[in-house]
Amino acid sequence: MPDKAEETKAGGGLTRREFIKCSAVLGGTLLASQFAWAADLLRRAEAGLLTPEEEYELAKAENILYTTCLQCNTGCGIKVKFFRKNGSAVALKVDGNPYNPFTLLPHYSYKTSPFELNTVDGAICPKGQAGLQTVYDPYRITKVLKRAGKRGENKWKSISFDEAVNEVVNGGRLFKDVPGEEDRHVEGLKDICTLRDPELAKSMDWDIKEIWKKKTKEEKQTAVAEFKRKYAGDLHHLIDPDHPDFGPKNNQLVYLWGRKKAGREQFALRFFAGGLGTYNYHGHTTVCQGSLYFSGKAMSEQYTAGTFKDGQKFYWQGDIEGAEFILFVGANLFDANYGPPNRTPRLIGKKFAVVDPRFNKLASKAWKYLPINPGTDGALAMAMIQWVIKNKRYNTDYLENANLGAAKKAGEPNYSNAAWLVKIKDGKPDVFLRANELGLAPKELRTKDGQVYTFEYLTVLKDGKAAPVDPNSEKEAIKGDLFVDAKLTASDGSEIEVKSALQILADSANEKTIEEWSKICGIPVSDIEEITGEFTSHGRKAAVDIHRGVAQHTNGFYSILGFYNLNLLIGNFDYRGGMIAASAYGVDGSKDGQPYNLGKLHPDKRQEFGINIIRYGNKYEESTIFEGYPAKRNWWPISSHIYQEVIPSIGDAYPYPIKALFSYMAAPNYSLPAGHAQNEILADTKKIPLYVANDILVGVTSMYADYIFPDLSYLERWEFQGSHPNMATKTQPVRNPVIAPIPETVKVYGEEMPISFESMMLGIAEKMNLPGFGPGGLGEGGDFTRPEDFYLKMVANVATDGTAVPDADDKEVELFLKSRGHLPKSVFDPERWQKAAGEKYWRKVIYVLNRGGRFQEYKDSFKGEQVANKYGKLINIYQEKTAKTKNAFTGKSNKGYAAYIPVSTALGKSPKDEGLTGDLHLLTQRDITMTKSRTVTNYWLQTILPENGIIINGTDAHRLGLKDGDRVKVVSSTNPEGIWDFKNGKKKPMIGKIKVTQTIKPGVITFVLGFGNWATGAADITIDGEVIPGDPRRGRGVHLNAAMWLDPYLKNTTMLDPVGGSVAFYDTRVNLVKV
Amino acid sequence: MYEGKDELTIIQEDIKRALKRPGAKWAMLLDLRRCVLCHSCTIGCVAEQKSPPGITYRPVYEEESGNYPAVQRRFTPRPCQQCDKPPCVAACPNAGENLATWKSEKGDSAGIVMINYDQCVGCGRCVIACPYKARALDKGAFYTEETPKIEEYEKAPTFEYSKQWPREKYNIPVGVARKCHFCLHRLRKGMLPMCVSTCIGRVNYFGDPTDAESLIYKVMQANQDKIRVLTAVKGEYPGKAPEFAKASATQPRVYYIVA
Repeated sequence: MPDKAEETKAGGGLTRREFIKCSAVLGGTLLASQFAWAADLLRRAEAGLLTPEEEYELAKAENILYTTCLQCNTGCGIKVKFFRKNGSAVALKVDGNPYNPFTLLPHYSYKTSPFELNTVDGAICPKGQAGLQTVYDPYRITKVLKRAGKRGENKWKSISFDEAVNEVVNGGRLFKDVPGEEDRHVEGLKDICTLRDPELAKSMDWDIKEIWKKKTKEEKQTAVAEFKRKYAGDLHHLIDPDHPDFGPKNNQLVYLWGRKKAGREQFALRFFAGGLGTYNYHGHTTVCQGSLYFSGKAMSEQYTAGTFKDGQKFYWQGDIEGAEFILFVGANLFDANYGPPNRTPRLIGKKFAVVDPRFNKLASKAWKYLPINPGTDGALAMAMIQWVIKNKRYNTDYLENANLGAAKKAGEPNYSNAAWLVKIKDGKPDVFLRANELGLAPKELRTKDGQVYTFEYLTVLKDGKAAPVDPNSEKEAIKGDLFVDAKLTASDGSEIEVKSALQILADSANEKTIEEWSKICGIPVSDIEEITGEFTSHGRKAAVDIHRGVAQHTNGFYSILGFYNLNLLIGNFDYRGGMIAASAYGVDGSKDGQPYNLGKLHPDKRQEFGINIIRYGNKYEESTIFEGYPAKRNWWPISSHIYQEVIPSIGDAYPYPIKALFSYMAAPNYSLPAGHAQNEILADTKKIPLYVANDILVGVTSMYADYIFPDLSYLERWEFQGSHPNMATKTQPVRNPVIAPIPETVKVYGEEMPISFESMMLGIAEKMNLPGFGPGGLGEGGDFTRPEDFYLKMVANVATDGTAVPDADDKEVELFLKSRGHLPKSVFDPERWQKAAGEKYWRKVIYVLNRGGRFQEYKDSFKGEQVANKYGKLINIYQEKTAKTKNAFTGKSNKGYAAYIPVSTALGKSPKDEGLTGDLHLLTQRDITMTKSRTVTNYWLQTILPENGIIINGTDAHRLGLKDGDRVKVVSSTNPEGIWDFKNGKKKPMIGKIKVTQTIKPGVITFVLGFGNWATGAADITIDGEVIPGDPRRGRGVHLNAAMWLDPYLKNTTMLDPVGGSVAFYDTRVNLVKV
Repeated sequence: MYEGKDELTIIQEDIKRALKRPGAKWAMLLDLRRCVLCHSCTIGCVAEQKSPPGITYRPVYEEESGNYPAVQRRFTPRPCQQCDKPPCVAACPNAGENLATWKSEKGDSAGIVMINYDQCVGCGRCVIACPYKARALDKGAFYTEETPKIEEYEKAPTFEYSKQWPREKYNIPVGVARKCHFCLHRLRKGMLPMCVSTCIGRVNYFGDPTDAESLIYKVMQANQDKIRVLTAVKGEYPGKAPEFAKASATQPRVYYIVA
């Protein structure tokens, strides 16, 4: 039970609360009197004057607004209910949006009138229910804060928005009042983003790509000299003229984002890339499940224009609603997994097995639970693949289809490259055999999108005879032999050793016996055989459904491939009960029929170029800083958004130093494993001369900023949430302002608007006269002087994707306006909105917003045995593109197929060999009540678990002499002191309470994420000389990420997956020290 | 899903029908095989009633047994049992219809053990009497009172028993006994009780169990041998360890399918 409030004596017997006079936090602002409503109600209640509606006002249609949750990334549809008084309103309740398939199964028809659904609530999780506490948080900031002390000292002063914009743009001796920084000149954006000519950028980009094409060092040097001559008058725009491929100085502006979705995504890209011309805009994907996304990308690379490209950054999950059996590996459906509200109802009554080192809640409902050794999931996948192939339990007909024509002929929605022949070079799979190498089907010149390219047929064997394959041909239906291991004769008479992709997979699975695989993963052979038998006994209505438990290891990428290949072996992709992909109504207007192609409505768009600070999409071997192996840090040819690279690369100034960092809703030092190592870099004004953050309060990372621009919470703003891989229904949940903004109002481009991420960007754009913003900023699309000018066009795009939605009738228009009566003009002006959406689309926009987005009908989500929204293309069992990339540490080619790779360090060694040891294997877990660093502000959620602990099996506790409730410190090889050092004089030891349980494997411990916070209202901060005392309730518990191993070679970065990019959350071993 | 509809959709239809049925009395059935310990019912209820620190109408008890890997886990949500023979009413010095507390037998509140905040003096005898730890006294605290500001939403009214109760220190409902009331204010609008409405596991069935058309009736019929009631809950408020049996002297109107 929470303690009762304590009165802190701050002079004159004032309570902690009454002492706060600072108006920069919500707690100090003068809002409408808190007592006026209550007093009036009491009077009227006593007089018996309450109307029947007042009995439960929250059920009235006009007191409800539909939007989208963001208490986690699932983004369920919600409805927010208001209590109104005198033109203003307070949100009192959040429930599920019945139009949205995440909260009801089936969800209501999109055609349903909102007047029929005011009393219908969908089911959401407790975080969604508690959302008001994120929004109405007393620690929210309402004004721009500028650092008044050292980095991380938590001494702030509030400054005006205009001053802040001016300082960020123009730079200067911005911190002359801070001891030690009196003479430090900070370069502003105008000094950093100097290359503003899009033609010059395009030209330099071209020439740099030519430098990269040069093979030898000498040729590269010559090309660099030539480049310097050609651009002699513009070399001052480059970071380093001797390394022109670093790109322009603009690249020294780095933009890092955490939880950001579509809408803000395009807005920010337009600003940072299209406006300021930096190539350094990076998201957080690898802290979530990066290797899943990039294995999806690798598996979805298409053979286009003679090469493998156009892979999509996505992944698949299981359609459990249609499944008869599911094997879950490292998936936590009742706590996370995108997300409990939509996954749980679909699982009712299903037969499923769970593989996890924890006996989690999902395991407690499973038919079978298999306790696996952490990090060995790939071994289980190999064992299962071996069994399926040995027992011929694979779908031959599906796998034999070698091209689109064969798939279509068979009525299959997609096909794999199982039968394609791969050349074996030095005993290792290399690239696909081109048919012309055998003298079959010569190279052809073809055109695509006006470009001429050389097309080469690939090859299969059909009944032992070689045949050419055009993968994309719909005219020819080519089937191929599945298991090929042969020597063919090339047209020049030489011998070419080849194997089919499926043979390579089989060989990989057969590298060890099933007994050996079993020993590695710790699951008995009989159990492996039983679940694999079950998996292959339901036709296509079975799925292996995996998530972060598999992905977030150093071997994530290859373990994931193992399980996806199991699904391929039974051919369940795009089938009900099998693997499906997310589908969402498009926002950016790039589809036919959509009115606003926002990417094109961008006059004078800047083009980014060069090498980015996380080196994704760049090849180490091609760059001018290639120095052999190991590279100083990893290069990422097939992955992006490598969250753990950003701050550490800045720290290493590799490949170049930076000048400014912007972060949006980001908490990398909290959310990443070994994030503690980032604090030193964040606090270093030499490494990061300027740091601007967007946050709704002073957070775990934003506390190190030079400027914090307050942002709108999820209930006050726009965004387009998109969907998730397990949702068969096409959706586009829209986030739109439903409560009055909390940050203060400012003026940008002559328009009044609250301070927010958008207004910061618009303000800087105005100051710097950036193209793509301001009057005429959308070209033919008109002005871009308010955020809504952009977002309402996106809603219009959603409304017209494919078949357009109907026009809202007069009653719905009236409801739309009335329910927004409490919103100030700074965020809602119907005339202005109508102009921004376009007269023609206004009623469609209203139709969409009255329903919280756009959602396909339940019945239209399926087509017979298949899902309606298909992936529908080639799926790679063998990945040529991956095989052509090299590991930047070892110089070895990366494997292009599923394999078991033991957990290793960046240099490819076993952790033990590099001095990384520990008694217990450390995991972390998500519980449904918490999401990383931001939900600790929700006191209601805290009642479920006020403080987390260190969860340990009774056997280990007994062995270590520990009892339930004992306090221990957690130490590791890379954090022997077991502390968080905030580099501001403060340290926080990782001390937590022991929680003994039988729900975890002996030898393994875990802790719940979301605790051990050091900001977010937990710590005292000073604003304008006033101390805002922190609330200790927000700092309870322990956060063990600082114990997770740093890679011994990288030193400031976590262990990671060098191919897929995922950070290793689950590969550390630690020791417990009783305190 | 049940026969192509969401259980919640069907139960909402059942409630609307029950409101028109003479003699209908509310009851709840929980299928514990479906509960996934998500705590949405607990928090949804707190959010709906703006329950203050110290009050939880519907906790969920977590139990584990066995040795790894042969572990069993059971999750038990515990609303007020709305007993037909309520010990809390028997203990109340001011019991009676429209007085401090009473068992409603007629009208749209039939089946619910009611509290009138205007009449309750906060003596606390009902709190001790309840074997399920379902009742508690409102101590007048706010979650945000230890922060720079007490937030609006904590002071705004709750709608319990279809009245508005703005939360003022030293004013009702501060100081009185509070407990689950099956969200009578929502039932009257043809809406589901909050816990039922937001349950992602579709654990709950609700309505008039004598209505043969209703889902609660059908599911109870199909699972007669598995149905149990709570006889007690051990541990300090709001409880920790449930005890089940085939029947209880308190005659609860909350039934459980225990796996």
